[in-house]
Amino acid sequence: MAQGAAGAAGARLSPQVDALIRAAQRGDQDAFEQLVRAYDQSVLRLAMNLLRSPEDARDVYQEAFLRVYRNLHAFRFDCSFHTWLYRIVTNICLDQLRKRKVRKEEPAVVETSDGPIDRMESFEEDAAEADPERSMWNRQLKQRIEGALEDLTPRERMVFELRHYQGLRLRNIGEMLGTSEEAAKNCLFRATQKMRSVLGDFV
Amino acid sequence: MTCDSLRKLIPLYYYGELTPEEEDLLEEHLHECAACERERERLRLLAAALDRRQQEIPPLLLEDCRDGLMAAIAGGITHPAAKPAKGPWKLFLEAMGATLSGFQRYRQPVGALALIAIGFFAARFTGTNPNAATSQPASPAGEVFATVRNVEPDSAGRVRIAFDETRRRVVSGNMEDQNIQKLLLAAAHEENPAVRVESVGLLRSRADSGEVRDALLNAVAHDPNAGVRLKALEGLKPLTGDAEVRNALAKVLLVDDNPAVRMQVVDLLVARRDDSVVGVLQNLVQKENNSGVRLKCEKALKDMNASIGTF
Repeated sequence: MAQGAAGAAGARLSPQVDALIRAAQRGDQDAFEQLVRAYDQSVLRLAMNLLRSPEDARDVYQEAFLRVYRNLHAFRFDCSFHTWLYRIVTNICLDQLRKRKVRKEEPAVVETSDGPIDRMESFEEDAAEADPERSMWNRQLKQRIEGALEDLTPRERMVFELRHYQGLRLRNIGEMLGTSEEAAKNCLFRATQKMRSVLGDFV
Repeated sequence: MTCDSLRKLIPLYYYGELTPEEEDLLEEHLHECAACERERERLRLLAAALDRRQQEIPPLLLEDCRDGLMAAIAGGITHPAAKPAKGPWKLFLEAMGATLSGFQRYRQPVGALALIAIGFFAARFTGTNPNAATSQPASPAGEVFATVRNVEPDSAGRVRIAFDETRRRVVSGNMEDQNIQKLLLAAAHEENPAVRVESVGLLRSRADSGEVRDALLNAVAHDPNAGVRLKALEGLKPLTGDAEVRNALAKVLLVDDNPAVRMQVVDLLVARRDDSVVGVLQNLVQKENNSGVRLKCEKALKDMNASIGTF
């Protein structure tokens, strides 16, 4: 399982981060920039993985850190900065996912005359695939995975993303999403069940 | 425990989210049960396939995002801590705000935003830059956003300006304050679930007021966030004798998709002996998927000397 390094580190409010936040709250622009740099890779990765569009991920990044900038003075150190930041980021991403569910547009996999193409493939290293059969299988698996992820509710999708890809604990995820650990657990269970049933014959 | 109930633990086992006791139980079972062990292996393969899907951040995107953010900040957003000198436009808005504040100390809808509509049409201004009709996305908290709707010079060389004002305000008071309660009731409908949880959590101590009771019932029945629904249920605890509350809870029990919520509703309903609840619980037992909720219902029915099924 993938671990979000910044996520794990950010869960503890280190003295350095604490000092950066206080300096940024006093109006120190450099401190704010350093704070952004300490967390922005994991934020961007989360947005990219969820939305699979660099444009949308960029919008989430900008909106999230602008909200941080505007509201940092209200951060009272009563939770970790990472949790506080992720409350903002997950809210924005959930809104985007909900809008997509309503519009049913911009799917990650698009149909073309050459078969289904993942919109993100152009950004991936095109590893030369020696075995065409294997390549076809991989492509089908990818397509199924995308389909399975699309079928999750935005909230299930988010909990799965935060647990599987960002390596966050369910208790922490519950705190970020304004819900209980138990509810996050149920979401994760439903998400894996749904994917398991869609991908059953592939794995 | 059966294979079925133990299999439900496998995903949580994979993610290391079981209690040590549950983990021991499952490991012991996996050791003996080939079918469940295969299930665990399939989940591992699924997770490995999902790992391969993880996106790498496209080269340059991160730098592009950082540059864009810093440009947005430098280009129009001033830091809340570094208060800029007040321009005439802001002074004007403040003067308007002060004049109007006497009429309307607390405004709705809340989330701390208030809107006074005065006129129609035209350009959009932000509080810090009176000369640019921009659509800049942001301004720091506490600033004034204004949308100018109409500008009309009159013959005496004066000008009449109509604008909408949106202003963040902070009010504080204790829970006895009617205005504070009103704000919390409005905040219970805010989009942000964290605000709703907090507001409903505060309101639950005031469930004796009819308005608060209705807000709690509304949250239990309609809030999309289970955390908010659970908080609202806590608030309804003292009101389980109220027939209307019991009816509403019985409905929630049959439609809520969250087992923790259903568990709590069962607790509330059985706290007060009432024959009408027997039918509701019997109905639930028939369709309940969650074993925890089902067991709770069965136990409650047994305690009431009622049969578990309607048959």
